[in-house]
Amino acid sequence: MRILIIEDEKSLREDVVDYLTENGYKCDFATTIKSAMQKLNDIVYSCALVDVGLPDGSGIEVVEYIKKNNPEMGVIIVTAKNALEDKLEGLKIGADDYLTKPFHLSELSARIYSVLRRRNFGGKNTLSFDGLEIDTTEKKVIANGNQLQLTKKEYEILVYLASNPTHLITKEALADAIWGDKAEMATSFDFVYSQIKNLKKKLNEADLKNYIKVVYGMGYKFKD
Amino acid sequence: MKLLTKTNIYSSITTILLFAIGIFIVYKVIFAKLDKEADNKLLTTKAQIIKSLKDGISPKEFMSNIGQKIYVRKIAKQTIFDNKFIEYTGKKFEEEITGVDLNDSRVTQRELLFQTTIDYQAYEVTVCISLTEGKLIGEYISGVVLIFLVLSFVILFLLNRYISDFLWSPFNDTLSKIKSWNIKKQDKLNFRNTDIDEFHLLNDTLKDLTYQIQSDYHNLKEFTENVSHEAQTPLSIISTKIELLMQETNYSERQHKLLVQTYNATQRLYKLNEGLILLTRIENKQFVDTTTINLNQAIDEKLEILEDFIEAKQIKIEKIFNAQITKDVNPILLTILLNNLFINAIKYNLEENGTIKVIVEEDSFSVENTSFKDKIDKQFLFERFNKNSISGSLGLGLSLIKKIIDFYNWHVTYSCKDGAHKFKIYM
Repeated sequence: MRILIIEDEKSLREDVVDYLTENGYKCDFATTIKSAMQKLNDIVYSCALVDVGLPDGSGIEVVEYIKKNNPEMGVIIVTAKNALEDKLEGLKIGADDYLTKPFHLSELSARIYSVLRRRNFGGKNTLSFDGLEIDTTEKKVIANGNQLQLTKKEYEILVYLASNPTHLITKEALADAIWGDKAEMATSFDFVYSQIKNLKKKLNEADLKNYIKVVYGMGYKFKD
Repeated sequence: MKLLTKTNIYSSITTILLFAIGIFIVYKVIFAKLDKEADNKLLTTKAQIIKSLKDGISPKEFMSNIGQKIYVRKIAKQTIFDNKFIEYTGKKFEEEITGVDLNDSRVTQRELLFQTTIDYQAYEVTVCISLTEGKLIGEYISGVVLIFLVLSFVILFLLNRYISDFLWSPFNDTLSKIKSWNIKKQDKLNFRNTDIDEFHLLNDTLKDLTYQIQSDYHNLKEFTENVSHEAQTPLSIISTKIELLMQETNYSERQHKLLVQTYNATQRLYKLNEGLILLTRIENKQFVDTTTINLNQAIDEKLEILEDFIEAKQIKIEKIFNAQITKDVNPILLTILLNNLFINAIKYNLEENGTIKVIVEEDSFSVENTSFKDKIDKQFLFERFNKNSISGSLGLGLSLIKKIIDFYNWHVTYSCKDGAHKFKIYM
């Protein structure tokens, strides 16, 4: 799956490209509206990540262009400084999702995965791993043929981890994703911890021992 | 004490003293003048008496029509060569004769006693002149002057008061404007025009001063805002880079530990900065869009979102909705407000068997929670980074709550009874 990243900030762009590449996406990037349009004309992308603040105009222009010429393509807009207007306008003209800067790379990966899934790219709505299948339409998890009974939060955590395979997910990123980043909660990490513990227990019971690895002090890894 | 009262006291004392001295001098001068005049008359009479004695005319005869009493006595030898003036207050002439006591009408007279020798005969002569009339006139004049002075004193006193009120009114105007001046507002001070140099100078100085203070305040505020904003990007870059570094696997234990600590500190700094930016944004009125929101519903939703945290501490929630509150508010601000209220209520709650009581009334709602914390000192209650915060907390929660409440001109009270902390918000 090919993704176009339209972002003028070099450092962020490189990180995004590296991270998504590691997650198995093919990534191209553009730094201006002009070069983005060129790329969009040449190549068919599954999804585009559009920064609203570009040097030669508003990324909203690109979103409009994409929606006109390739409505199938998923679009995620990135806005800076919680610019609510940009966000709303972007969603109104057909962006699938938005992220406000700064974001955890794992969050981006989870959002891209979710957009692609909704747009039905790849023709399947399941995340399949060895012995584990996550059906994101039905919100069901099948482990070694048996359906796992997961709570909503446990399910969300599992999907989040699974959409960032092989990457370390920090507990901050998980807490932000599940309780929202406004929850200034000294104890929210404890909840991440206890949710993960329960999740691991349920996976262990279904004989799936090594899917979630705890990296001490840092976070968690979903291992394929 | 008012400046006016004080000046009045001093000026009154001075005026009274001056008037007293003035009256005394006037009185003395008038009477000295009267005596002098009487003396001159007496001396003229003396000359006439001597002349008539020389001419052999009886002075009594001669003088009878002048209204001055003259007593001439022949004496053996002249013993006094000077004029002797005697002032004497005594019974009235008629009284002396009739012996009837006519009190209250005593007579003042001035006498000239002299001796003279004419043709080897020594005479002792006493000439009397009545001063009663003169004295009366003098007393009248003094009285009139006194009345005039007292009157002018009263008039001056009243006038002074009135004029002072009038003169100080620009000053009072300046004072009231300074009192209502707010550093946070951009508006410049405009004082009433005055032609009094001192007040004019005062107004100019105040204008410059407040302008300076205001511009310093705004510069400082802008600086803080800029620092927060500008720090956000590098902070997020650092945070992302550390997250990427964490993706690497082969670290030594020490490297791993350092990395975790760096990441945690960065996250904390990042959240802190985010909180500060949020405070600034509320202050700068960047949340003006409003939606009509049912508060009861918003509370229910918030409690549902925080369910996990509430359950983990096994906190009992008591909801008493006596009324439905619907308000036009900014949804983000309301979310932040409720979030912080409830998160505090959870965070500082007892480790077990705690309760949170939410009461919605007609015009207010309150959140009451049991806690392991003692009563918070009101002085520091809504201050940023107050020492009451537990570790891991940013210490911005309450000041965010206060900012939002202030923004909507609501009112918040805090009370602590039997270990239960209660925040009540009047909307």
